[in-house]
Amino acid sequence: MFLPAAVSAGLWLTAAPVARRLPPATAVRLLTLAALLTALSSGAVLAAAAFLVLARLPAVAVAGRWSPATFAALDPVPVVAGVGAGVVVLVLLASAVRRVASAGRDLAVAARTCRRLGPGAGGLVVVDDPAPDAYALPGLGGRVVVSTAMLRALPPAERRALLAHEAAHLRHHHHLHVQLAELAAAANPPLRPLAAAVHAAVERWADEAAAAELQDRALVARALARAGLARARAARAAQVPESHPARDAVDSAVAERTRALLAPRPAGRRGLAAAVVALMLVPVVSAAVTAGATEHRVDVAQAAWARQH
Amino acid sequence: MSGQTPRPRGALEREVLACLAAATQPLTAGEVLADLDGGLAYTTVMTTLTRLQAKGVLTRRLSGRAYVYAVAGDPDQVEASLAAHRMRRVLDEGGDRAGVLARFVADLSPEDEQLLAGLLAAGPDDEPRT
Repeated sequence: MFLPAAVSAGLWLTAAPVARRLPPATAVRLLTLAALLTALSSGAVLAAAAFLVLARLPAVAVAGRWSPATFAALDPVPVVAGVGAGVVVLVLLASAVRRVASAGRDLAVAARTCRRLGPGAGGLVVVDDPAPDAYALPGLGGRVVVSTAMLRALPPAERRALLAHEAAHLRHHHHLHVQLAELAAAANPPLRPLAAAVHAAVERWADEAAAAELQDRALVARALARAGLARARAARAAQVPESHPARDAVDSAVAERTRALLAPRPAGRRGLAAAVVALMLVPVVSAAVTAGATEHRVDVAQAAWARQH
Repeated sequence: MSGQTPRPRGALEREVLACLAAATQPLTAGEVLADLDGGLAYTTVMTTLTRLQAKGVLTRRLSGRAYVYAVAGDPDQVEASLAAHRMRRVLDEGGDRAGVLARFVADLSPEDEQLLAGLLAAGPDDEPRT
């Protein structure tokens, strides 16, 4: 029952370095899946512990047609632990539900904005704005929004790199991976660093996709550097206070992304990927074992109840 | 420099629009071709320009013997700008909303800024057009 927690901790410690070493597309897929499986398994194990204590209540036992004494006798879960597990499960479940609602709301806002933006040219919408900015927005096939200031800050080849990067976000549905990782983190707070690693890895994925399309890694690195500097200069000129701390955590990665592009293309690393897969199976197996053991106890308790009646 | 790989669907339309939006004056098809990065035929660019003009994204007028193209400043553009601003404001407010909006680059730390400036200074000098 402690295995999912141990795996959460393991992922917590290793998410960032693992994500950096795997090819970004692999990292995004594996870490998102690992986060979801771990969150689900931990929830299931906690719920089982809560159930084993709840099952000892007479009212519940009558409804379930089982003997409460069996649950108390067979290697019982301490009442405090069971009640605690139940409370934690409810809190985490509520947090996950809230996260789903807010993700739905955000995606609806994005889709509505896409409709207002119109189809553009191949999904590109240029807005007349003196602040250099560029982003991809999911919904209705998605839009790439770029300000005129950003377009003018880049030479033509680097403009193409920027467009290829943003189009890759939309083509590979990066927002879905990010949202799922965020959901896992809401349902299991120790997985927070995993969600951050997925955030960073989708940017790297889009960088690599642009580099592959243009067949020039250094070009994409220069585009990143120039766009970053253009934004920094514009922010200083406008006297905008250094922006949102929550975003900075993700986006100070610009320098790191640039460095990664100047290094050779990340290789396959099958061993590492296999290790992550193995690690993510641990909580699943442990949850399955817990579920089996819980079911067995229910069977025994129901048999005992049947003998008494 | 590149341009050997085929562009994904819609990529050329995006590049043509980006090129004309970055330009300070209307451009001929030849100028757009020269501006775009490698491996394109004149007729391909011409077809894309015509298609975007038909969609109402671009306008064209005769200048001398050739057509020049510019981004259409239609009323929808104002609406689009407003929508984009609203979107950015909404998304910039909550840190956990960043998952919807994938920004090319965001803000740099002073150290990052120095590092990137150094990188550009060392690289090939393709400064943006003025």
